[in-house]
Parts: sequence; C-alpha cells; structure tokens
Amino acid sequence: MSKKNDQISRARGARGKNSSAELLGSNSEIGRKLKQYYDELVSTDVPDRFANLLAELEQAEPSGLAIVAETKAEG
Amino acid sequence: MEQAPTFRVDLLAAIPSLRAFAVSLSQNADRADDLVQETLVKAWDKQASFQPGTNLKAWLFTILRNEFYSQMRKRGREVQDSDGALTARLAIHPAQHGLLDLEDFRKALQLLPEDQREAIILIGASGFSYEEAAEICGCAVGTIKSRVSRARSRLQEVLDISGEADYGPDAIATQVMGSSVS
Repeated sequence: MSKKNDQISRARGARGKNSSAELLGSNSEIGRKLKQYYDELVSTDVPDRFANLLAELEQAEPSGLAIVAETKAEG
Repeated sequence: MEQAPTFRVDLLAAIPSLRAFAVSLSQNADRADDLVQETLVKAWDKQASFQPGTNLKAWLFTILRNEFYSQMRKRGREVQDSDGALTARLAIHPAQHGLLDLEDFRKALQLLPEDQREAIILIGASGFSYEEAAEICGCAVGTIKSRVSRARSRLQEVLDISGEADYGPDAIATQVMGSSVS
C-alpha cells in the first residue's frame, strides 16, 4: 500500500515537473506570487472615467446603429 | 438595440481585468489606463465584429495587447525580445525571513522581456488556457509554452529561488505524506 502511494506521488511529481500547466500551480512560489500580484491589481478601484466613457459612447452611437449606418452607406 | 446595454455592462465588468493586464504589460499605471480607455473605444467601434458567445475577455485582451505594441512602435521603442539586453544579472534576495516579498516580485517581473511577461501573466494569473493565450498573442501554443517556462526560470534566477519544484516544502511534504500513509 505504502509502496503504491509512493509510486503515485512520484508519478505526480514527475508530471508536475514536465507539464507547463503545473509550473505555475499552487505548489509554485512563483505561481502564488503571480496571482497575488495580479489579484491586487484586479481589486484596485476603477476610476469613474471608464463608466462615463462607456455611457458617452453609448449615447453617441448606440449599439446596432453603427451597423445600420454602415449598411446604409454601402447601399 | 437590445444588445446595447448588455455589451456596455459586459465591457464594464471586464475593466478590472483589463487594467490588471494593462499594468502588467506597460508597468505604468497612467499608461495602463490610457490603454484601457483606447481598448474600450476600439471595442465599442468594433462590437459588430465580436461574435456573441465567444470569449469577450480574450477578445478585449487581444485589442489591448495590439494597442500596447502599436503604441510602443510609434514611440520608436524597440520591442524587447526574449534574448534581448535585459538579461540583468541582478539578483533580488528574499528578505530575512526567507519569504518572497511582493515588492521584490514586482521588480523581478519588470525585468522580464514583454513577450515573456505577458505570457506568464496570461497563463499564471489571468486564467487563460495556452490556446487562448496563443490566440491573444497571435503565436503558436508552443511559443507561449516556451515563453512561460523561460519567464519562470528567469524569475527563479532573479529571485534566487532554486528548483522549488524539487526541493520546496510542498514537494517534501508530499513525499513524507506519500510514504507515511499506509
């Protein structure tokens, strides 16, 4: 039993070493730091300017109108 | 017409990720927000070319990335390639307690060439698959894999982490647990 588990853990280790997906898994300090770095950026407050910009864009050119305008121009 | 609010709401929801990616790429908060703004405008103009049901986040990341590289070219800044000049021999040593400080990590990331940095961010932090990352960067899946692996080695080297996969506490714990369970 113990031998079998040993083999499994060794197989897991080998897979971890060879597969790139595992390279940045939770076992990797680099992987953990990378997520910490990024999560901190993601959770930064978003300035209002972006919501305002989208509202302006929508007002200037509601979705769908662009396509209609293009079609008209072509026809 | 029905689509309009949804698209705007979807764009809004994507902004935090877009900003994180933009900062990771440009390493500059102001430039990052300009990139995000430009991306939103472009996305709005191109919304007819977005296929509903496909990955909006990947589509937006592609636009942002293209914008970033085109701005770099306009500024006459040469895009760093992987074997470029930034092979800083500078090693950042983890603080006394041996734990890797986030600030050190940030500095180390900054030393990476852009292509490696974006690859490791897309795969290791933004949650994209290798296939999606390859599509975003317009290159082969194998190229992304090798960039990620080079980025990781470079970070390990700079941060003075040696073969953590083999000798890290997790690996040892796994071994101990593996052999003691009966």
